[in-house]
Amino acid sequence: MRAVCSLSLVLMILVILPTVNLAFGAEVGEYLDRRVEIWNLFFRMMVVAFTIGAVVSGTMIWLVIRFRESNPKATPTKYEGTGELDRYE
Amino acid sequence: MKAPENWIDMSEHSHWPEWVYIGVVVALLVYVGAEAWNIERIVEHIPEDAELITVTAQQWFWSFEHEDGTKEIGELHLKQGVPYKFEITSKDVIHSFNIPDYLVLMDAVPGRINTIWFVPVDAGEYEMQCREYCGLLHYNMRAKLYVEKA
Amino acid sequence: MVLELHKPRPIWVIMFSTHHTDIGLLYMITSIAFLFLGGTLALAIRAELFFPGAQIIADSMTFNRMFTVHGTTLIFLFILPFAAGVGNYLVPIMVRYKDMAYPKLNAIAFWMIPPAAALVWLGFADFTWYAYPPYSVISAPAPAADMWIFGLKILGVSSVLGAINFIVTILKCKHPDLPLSKLPLFVWSIFTSSLIILVAIPTFAAALLMLLTDRLGVSGFFNPAVGGDPIAYQHLFWFTFHPEVYVLVIPAIGMMYEIIPRFSRKPIFSHSSGVIAFVLLAIVSFASWAHHMYATGMTFTVKTVFMIGTLAAVPASAMHVFNFLATMWGGRIKFTAPMKWSVGGIALFFAAGAGGVVNSAMPLDFITHDTYWVVGHFHLFVMGTIAFGSIAFFYYLFPYITGRMYNEKLADIHFYLSFVGAVMVFFTQHVLGLYGMPRRVFDYPAIPEWIVMNQIATVGAMIMGASMAIFLYNMIYSSAKGKPANMDDPWGLGGKYYYPYQRKNPRH
Repeated sequence: MRAVCSLSLVLMILVILPTVNLAFGAEVGEYLDRRVEIWNLFFRMMVVAFTIGAVVSGTMIWLVIRFRESNPKATPTKYEGTGELDRYE
Repeated sequence: MKAPENWIDMSEHSHWPEWVYIGVVVALLVYVGAEAWNIERIVEHIPEDAELITVTAQQWFWSFEHEDGTKEIGELHLKQGVPYKFEITSKDVIHSFNIPDYLVLMDAVPGRINTIWFVPVDAGEYEMQCREYCGLLHYNMRAKLYVEKA
Repeated sequence: MVLELHKPRPIWVIMFSTHHTDIGLLYMITSIAFLFLGGTLALAIRAELFFPGAQIIADSMTFNRMFTVHGTTLIFLFILPFAAGVGNYLVPIMVRYKDMAYPKLNAIAFWMIPPAAALVWLGFADFTWYAYPPYSVISAPAPAADMWIFGLKILGVSSVLGAINFIVTILKCKHPDLPLSKLPLFVWSIFTSSLIILVAIPTFAAALLMLLTDRLGVSGFFNPAVGGDPIAYQHLFWFTFHPEVYVLVIPAIGMMYEIIPRFSRKPIFSHSSGVIAFVLLAIVSFASWAHHMYATGMTFTVKTVFMIGTLAAVPASAMHVFNFLATMWGGRIKFTAPMKWSVGGIALFFAAGAGGVVNSAMPLDFITHDTYWVVGHFHLFVMGTIAFGSIAFFYYLFPYITGRMYNEKLADIHFYLSFVGAVMVFFTQHVLGLYGMPRRVFDYPAIPEWIVMNQIATVGAMIMGASMAIFLYNMIYSSAKGKPANMDDPWGLGGKYYYPYQRKNPRH
């Protein structure tokens, strides 16, 4: 599910942002303004980074809250007491 | 908690989430790489009619020479809307020529000439600085850029 | 096992021992001492930058010397020896051998560190930890720069000897019943990082020699005045030190692999993906060095190649993060100090990695190169990930080494203060870089945004400094007077959990 969400986010970023860019990225003058090009790239990268950051940190926060020992829903894992903690798959 | 059943079972857990995850990561990286490649390609293209400015770095000041032979030290006067090409070199150690407001950055390496170009779009006064460590007064190796109204 | 404080031995017995646990202990104590020394320099640097103008440091030369020694100390005298120390402690146990393959060589590798550290600290060089020529050849003040070069030379030899020792121990001395693929991931991390050291360090060793002869005036490899090429040094330097970044981070990840499954009470999600990611990282680490040099006037094609090489390292790092999160998923996690530090470290590792991807995009180099963005970015790795992982492991080994338990409350305070401090310093430094503040500056113009952000960063650094003082107190007090640890299960994880010090552990 998480993967599907992130995949659709990626597609959104890939499709929508360039369109917005075309619509609003007006010509600055005869010559290219490197500030515009580079900062736009930077903000696109930031959109990607913060989206992924939200997904990953959200997952981490959820994991920490849900699977902490003191969570009322916490149940012993099936490996507890079996001595199989170090049994790698 | 139905879906993660597979995940908990370490001996026979499914590997597809990891593959999907790696796929997403790789797709993102391809996107980042392609975008960066494209913008770099556009930004690096120097216009034919760019005016040449020779920049010489020295511990710890900048000197500039215009195409017509005018020399300036510690300050640079440019005209708004004209593309400029900098040829940057150094007399002693490595410095880095930087106009932060215009995202101009290029190392000044002794024995080499590096080029970078930009157009001063807005008139005004801007800072120039050294961005590669060059010794005692590196922190104060600054210069002023004056962009005059066209 | 080793309970130094239960069965006290005279200090020289430990010092002149060649047993792997004793040398591991020496390594770890030395490295933690240098963490505090280097950290003190960082606090002085931050205090200096609290306001523009000279504050507590007399002149820019002293300041330049301080950040040079700060970087050199924390990389070569804290991070590398700490990983070597933990490796010494655990690798022989985990491969089920009585000691390291070459115990005497092991002791020699350790005893090269104090003289090298003395050279670096007594010299107090000023040319940053890069030592870029021609500055380091024609401008850097004399005895300090040469002492630094010799110090680093010795440290390089020490790491290579250590790496050879680890590789031989792992490949040749492991128990025959233990297939290489089933070795714990910590052993894999030490193995891959040792391989990288073996390939990468000799390049820098050569560059150092060339630098030295250049300084002596008998050669001109990097001196353009006599026809040399300063950029060649940068290639040699980064060919060693970009892979070195992975040498630093891989053992820290290995330490987290040791902690996270135990405290989640689950096995690692995928042992094989961890191994694959380590090996991939080790290989790809050699394909990205010139992304440190975009601004030196490289051609578009070269830049593109190295950007691709840089991005190629990301999937492997991402696999580790996935593995950690998937291991925690469905567990019953006990959040005591080692686990808190590990999870905090993973969060900051992700942040650092995301910043790294942004960094690697060629045009963004015009914004970030040699600004505080870069400072914030790599500190998220070295402090946020590596030091966090190392401190996690230090807490984890504490009962093992001392037989006593650290104070959990103080460890809690230590973690929360450090995490908040790290976020305050390093995230702010990213933004400061976007505003164009160059790194390695003693003074800066009084731009209001710069002042405010520098002050936030300084306050964060002081918070971190305070938390480290608590750490020091906790370690000293608890190792002498702490509650005796329950050696079968110090954290009360319940069930049959095998700790590294339990010889009966069939898997180690």
